[in-house]
Amino acid sequence: MRYRKYLISRLDIFIALLLIAAVLYIGYRINVGLHYKWNWKIIPQYLFRYDAENEKWVANLLMQGLFTTIRLSAWGTVLAMFIGTVMGLCRISQSLFKRLVSGTYVELMRNIPPLVLIFIFYFFVSEQFLPVLGVEEFVRNSSWPVQWVMAVLFAPPTLLNEFLSATVTLAVFEGAYITEIVRAGIQSVEKGQWEAACAMGLSKWQQMRYVVLPQAFGRVLPPLTGQFISTIKDSAIVSVISIQELTFQGMELISATYLTFEIWITVALLYLMLTLPCSMIVGRIETYVNRFLSVGLHDFVRRG
Amino acid sequence: MLLIIALMGCFSGCSNEPTPTAPQAESALERVMKQGVLRVGMSTFVPWAMKDKTGRLIGFEIDVATRLAQDMGVNVEFVPTKWAGIIPALITGKFDIIIGGMGILPNRNLKVNFSIPYDYTGMSIVAHKKLAEGFNSLEDFNKPGVSLAARLGSTAVTAARRFMPDATLSLFDDESQAYQELLNGRVYGVVGSAPTPGFQALKYPDKLFLPLSDTFTREPIGFALRKGDVDTLNFVDSWIRVVEEEGWLKERKRYWFDTRLWEPMIQ
Repeated sequence: MRYRKYLISRLDIFIALLLIAAVLYIGYRINVGLHYKWNWKIIPQYLFRYDAENEKWVANLLMQGLFTTIRLSAWGTVLAMFIGTVMGLCRISQSLFKRLVSGTYVELMRNIPPLVLIFIFYFFVSEQFLPVLGVEEFVRNSSWPVQWVMAVLFAPPTLLNEFLSATVTLAVFEGAYITEIVRAGIQSVEKGQWEAACAMGLSKWQQMRYVVLPQAFGRVLPPLTGQFISTIKDSAIVSVISIQELTFQGMELISATYLTFEIWITVALLYLMLTLPCSMIVGRIETYVNRFLSVGLHDFVRRG
Repeated sequence: MLLIIALMGCFSGCSNEPTPTAPQAESALERVMKQGVLRVGMSTFVPWAMKDKTGRLIGFEIDVATRLAQDMGVNVEFVPTKWAGIIPALITGKFDIIIGGMGILPNRNLKVNFSIPYDYTGMSIVAHKKLAEGFNSLEDFNKPGVSLAARLGSTAVTAARRFMPDATLSLFDDESQAYQELLNGRVYGVVGSAPTPGFQALKYPDKLFLPLSDTFTREPIGFALRKGDVDTLNFVDSWIRVVEEEGWLKERKRYWFDTRLWEPMIQ
């Protein structure tokens, strides 16, 4: 990689000035046109507050929401990876039945608005399915350390059922995109590789496991990381079923304090704090993978 | 998008009528006593229920629910829920009871059981000084071309449709969005439960005013419970009678609605 020195032209300066002017003008309009009383002072206390009783700093509403968002996205991605891998393999399987099942799944998920899916899942699916498992009862009646671990990894016992339904919903939705990533990754491995592996006398499963999948894995890593970022962003949708993640906590705070602009801006910055490092990691992974494989992977199945 | 939420919120309860005793064979009361926890569905709504600076829930409804759990000898757990989906959430067993300033409406009562009223609220309007200049009656607002905002799924919507059918009504998920719309000058007024509209008019005296001197409806407020659960219903009815006679409800109501002593707790 050779870096070219960038020269800042007059046009760049002009455009930058225009942008700054636009931002300032919007701020001015909000101040003057709406008579909006900015009150940034009280925002930090909603991120962290000093607990006088225990003499330490603790996370407050917005940070708690951020942690929930992270948990939700992390578990959602793990589960979606599992679903996506299984379904992705089904998409290219020999059996027509498997292809039909996985095809139906992908088309259904990709053609129904996530909001509608979430409602359907939450009110119909999770209600029939989760109480049967009895997770909540189990956690409620379990010992203190178990409860604590569950609370750190998932959610406090009170909100566990909701959290699990939201995670499953998110995973099933994101899984459709991961399915396509996996399928495209496997199909991008040249036919010659299969043939060579076959010539070595490997069985179908061994060809897949030792030759094709390792190569496919390297190629799908960048889009998978991109999908993780999408999952973080999509997790905001579950605020509609009252999961207490960042967006929901933000809305609740607005209801209580009426600080519409400050809180939405803060929430946006918190999301950026999560997703921007991920984006940089994607860039890193891409250069790394390309160096080893010298194959540019096409950006498949991206959503707008 | 909000419309979708609205429709889902309204219809997810109506379209698929679960059998009244589907989620649990035992009464909610038995379950609460057994688990030692009362789960209360509520939604943020100043000054009924809101989060203070430390993230604790405070407000009139919170006091009521806490006292109810205390008198049962169990812990209380609050489940903050979006207003539009709060009834389906109760029916599907996400919590045992709604204590959230829910107005008793016949069409709601078809889906849930209501306790006797423990509180009364009335609707009032806060209007935009420039747009609604000189408006001082409901008739002034009841004109085509006049736009009003209200919170989705609230009794404010029912009241606005009944008294001002000719005005256009835009609905928002949270009341704060409705007030933001008003401050932006996109609607003539916001219909909401007293005392919030009055508070808003005090907060922005140069932009907003109260066109009506008093509330224009009087609505009973009750606890909502799942259908077919007579025992729990009887318990909460009796409990309301007891605390009513004590004067405790009145005292709490005065603190949250007529004083602003709690303001420093949230700002």
